[in-house]
Amino acid sequence: MKWATRSGVHVDRAACAWLIRRSIDPEAEFVFVDDPAEVPRDATAFDMRGAELGHHGGDCSFETILRRYDLDDPALWDVARIVHEADLADERFDAPEAPGLDVICRGLSMVLDDPQVLVVAGDLFEGLYEHRRRALLLGREPA
Amino acid sequence: MKWVFLLYRLPRDPSTPRIALWRNLRRLGVVQLADGLVALPLDARTKEQLEWLADDVIDAGGEASIWVAEAGSAAQERALAARLAEAVAAEYRTVRTAALAASALGVSARRRTLRRLRRDLRGIRARDYFPPPEAAEARRAVEALAEAMEATA
Repeated sequence: MKWATRSGVHVDRAACAWLIRRSIDPEAEFVFVDDPAEVPRDATAFDMRGAELGHHGGDCSFETILRRYDLDDPALWDVARIVHEADLADERFDAPEAPGLDVICRGLSMVLDDPQVLVVAGDLFEGLYEHRRRALLLGREPA
Repeated sequence: MKWVFLLYRLPRDPSTPRIALWRNLRRLGVVQLADGLVALPLDARTKEQLEWLADDVIDAGGEASIWVAEAGSAAQERALAARLAEAVAAEYRTVRTAALAASALGVSARRRTLRRLRRDLRGIRARDYFPPPEAAEARRAVEALAEAMEATA
């Protein structure tokens, strides 16, 4: 399937792309547009104005996708806590990891183009997910 | 330079979306130009954040639109930048005053204050588009508090 989002990928879009490929559509193909009107007819838009998979009711797009696709893995929701604060910094959650993740993603988009950011951020979020999964299993921070 | 404007109208009731919007606008450090019109210097992040708030307004039954604008004169632009700088300068002064006052506190209260002031500084920096001299002064006062704690530890 085709998925479309705004160009200039930052933390929420990078996290969404990782989540889509991981939990919804392993064959996902991403296109980047500058305006909602440029979204191809056969693509699902995410993290864009007016898209169903956008910010809603104070949720960032990553949380919206988790809800919309009934993804209830607690480790994904723990990643969502961090992504939400990295994207919005509205202090809805306690996420000391968030400012670091925000800076790393901003830096990536300075040195890589959008498709490359998704590749690197894919590993980044896979690692973050695994860390949070083990933390939840152990009930403490993993070594 | 360019500016991004959010023009909005939100029903007076219910008040929850108004309060949420107000809180988000405050966090972003917008300058209020008129009733229902706020501005920020344009960059990819500010435009995106105001766009999400515009959608929130529409979801709550209001009207909102996003505009990219240029000031008609350099003086007008300076005045706008000065208002933004003055707003964060006041916040930095509050942090600095609290940091200076904290030197009189006990060790554990000082540690708590240090943690809170560092977090406050991060929040202010995120909405500091034209750093005033007070930014460095506040940072110095907070770091002096940290150094004083190390010296007594």
